[in-house]
Amino acid sequence: MGKYYITTVIENCSGCLRCQLGCSEANTRKFKPIAAHIHVEMNDGDCAISFTDDCIAYGICADNCFYGALTKTVKEKSS
Amino acid sequence: MNLGGFAGYILHINLTDKTVERTPLDLGLAENYIGGLGITLKLAYDTIQPGVDALGPDNTIVLGAGPLVGTDLPATSRVFAVTKLPSSGTIGWCGAGGFNFGCELKNAGYDHIIISGKAQNPVYLKIIDDDVQICDAHNLWGMGVAETCEAFWKDYERPLGVLSIGRAGENKVAFSMAFIDRISTLGRGGFGAVMGAKNLKAIMVKGKRGIDVADRKRYRALRKPFLENIRQYPYLKEWQSLGMLKSFPIVPVETYERIKKRRLACVSCPVGCKDIIEIPDGPFNGMVVHTSSALNLLTGLTYGFQDYRESIKLIATLDEYGMDMFEFFGLMGFAKTLHEQGIIQSDDIETEIRMDSLASMETWAGKIVAREGLGNVLANGFKGMLETFGEDSKKYAPSLVKGIHPYTGPGSALPWDLFGTMELGQVLDPRGPHVGSGGSPTYFAKRPLEVFPRHFKRMGIPASATERIITSSDDSDGEQTLNIGILLKYSHSWFSLLGSMGICARGQINRFYNAELCAQLYEAVTGIKTDLDELRLRVDRIWTLYRMANLREGFRRDIHEVLPEQWFGDNGFKEYVSGKPLQIDQAQKMIEDYYEEWGWDRKTGTPTGKILEKLGLSYS
Ligand code: SF4
Repeated sequence: MGKYYITTVIENCSGCLRCQLGCSEANTRKFKPIAAHIHVEMNDGDCAISFTDDCIAYGICADNCFYGALTKTVKEKSS
Repeated sequence: MNLGGFAGYILHINLTDKTVERTPLDLGLAENYIGGLGITLKLAYDTIQPGVDALGPDNTIVLGAGPLVGTDLPATSRVFAVTKLPSSGTIGWCGAGGFNFGCELKNAGYDHIIISGKAQNPVYLKIIDDDVQICDAHNLWGMGVAETCEAFWKDYERPLGVLSIGRAGENKVAFSMAFIDRISTLGRGGFGAVMGAKNLKAIMVKGKRGIDVADRKRYRALRKPFLENIRQYPYLKEWQSLGMLKSFPIVPVETYERIKKRRLACVSCPVGCKDIIEIPDGPFNGMVVHTSSALNLLTGLTYGFQDYRESIKLIATLDEYGMDMFEFFGLMGFAKTLHEQGIIQSDDIETEIRMDSLASMETWAGKIVAREGLGNVLANGFKGMLETFGEDSKKYAPSLVKGIHPYTGPGSALPWDLFGTMELGQVLDPRGPHVGSGGSPTYFAKRPLEVFPRHFKRMGIPASATERIITSSDDSDGEQTLNIGILLKYSHSWFSLLGSMGICARGQINRFYNAELCAQLYEAVTGIKTDLDELRLRVDRIWTLYRMANLREGFRRDIHEVLPEQWFGDNGFKEYVSGKPLQIDQAQKMIEDYYEEWGWDRKTGTPTGKILEKLGLSYS
């Protein structure tokens, strides 16, 4: 499933939620952070990034990230 | 109303009657006032009765977030509050970003909240989509800003927006602020006290309605190159790594790196200027502080603190109280001088006032917030101090504008000496001395004039005005000079445009936007037909209405727009281009040029009948 591998570097996350905004809009046509397939939780500076089962690694989260917390690489096609 | 961008509803809360009502947002408001700051000001104009007591039950608080807030356009985080402010006695805006608040407010279905009346006991507002309740807040009363925010974060799943006050607001300290999501400030002028006077401790908001855009295809087409442009910005990484310390290197980078725990950003912001700091050693080892910027935490160093860790500790305490640090330091310096001059008696000074001592400053902050002894007088700000200590004290007061100490300029915390738009704006923004609305290329000292026109175009300044802003000086060798008064008109326009759309106006963000792009984005998001000329007209309407709201309050040039005398003379401001000492008559002329550029009377600053007619405005 999905075209990309999404790599996370939680140290770089700023909690801006650009990933959740972009993902939710791609999936629901509405900017709705709770509907995103990616979730960022920031607790006293500790960050956790998780993906729901619905994530299809579409990659918009990485496209929207400016901090290097999310990057995408193309999956190689299995022959 | 079925527009993109807008959530579509205004929430009306009456704390006296305990009523909650929602009304649809009128399309005409959006068409005439853009949204965000613009509509917030318009609703404030319509709901705040002239002459109201800022701390009385009849004052109204209007909150709002613009149509771009909640989208993924860069730094569309802005939330505005407009009310009558107790320190300045004027109708003023306060603006902040935050992690969640603006975005969640829109997701809950509201563009604006209008809060009137006064609760009998402490309350907070709980807004979860259509479920809006005025809830008992006695458990929260007495808590600090962050403590309150954490209490909500513990009980509800995030994202969740929290707007809260600390003890300073509860006890109606004249320079209390409110905080959004614990890291962004709605401050200067006493906004916290207005909430405290209403017994309103906090507003929490959460929603799942979602924000859609009117023209998705165009939105995407505009967004792509825009984001790419930001990625190409050569200083992006440096900004992301240093935040505000990039502009103001108050401590060496190595020191900042030692205390930096994580850099944070408001919702949708690609730059980020918020910080989590951890003190790495010394008596406060391990202390973690969330802050609107590490720069703020280090401000004590400019007042004589030697140890940056002590500065962090003090400012964190002030933040937790919800107290404006600039006004706090200004007042403490004033009180110290009055004591030295024998105007404040030693009996009143239970603790020696030492501007460089954490113990002394923390003790005084505690006295102010608890309104104990002299702290009770200090809590009423400069106005209270001058009333209490009378005529003799006046000559020792620092520079004041509308009863508030400006934070840039001679004798202020940020001793910038070149007189640009931000400096003049401290006198001409009706809310009181604040630099937020006065941004322009003069933000940087000694910028060559050749680069200005490029920025002017970006800010939407018409070419005809550019010729009036960069002119030949009349006095000497015909060298080019800048008309700061006319330029400030356009700084205020640019700020109004960004704020009304919901975009952060800070230099590190607004550099990526331009007025033409704003018109296109606004049209794509909302579906309201818009071009740059129309936006200009709406912006003129917004800021002129803002002035009218204050003229209606009795606002006058000779009382409210007086240039502090400390700004002139040997240690005063310098002209931006020539660097020569600024003369008061030059600054007065700037004020008049500013008025005239808006179409207001050159001498009084009263909008002329002609401009009111053009803008479709009249007094009510
Ligand atoms: S620049 Fe700072 S204040 Fe502005 S949106 Fe970004 S993080 Fe918030």
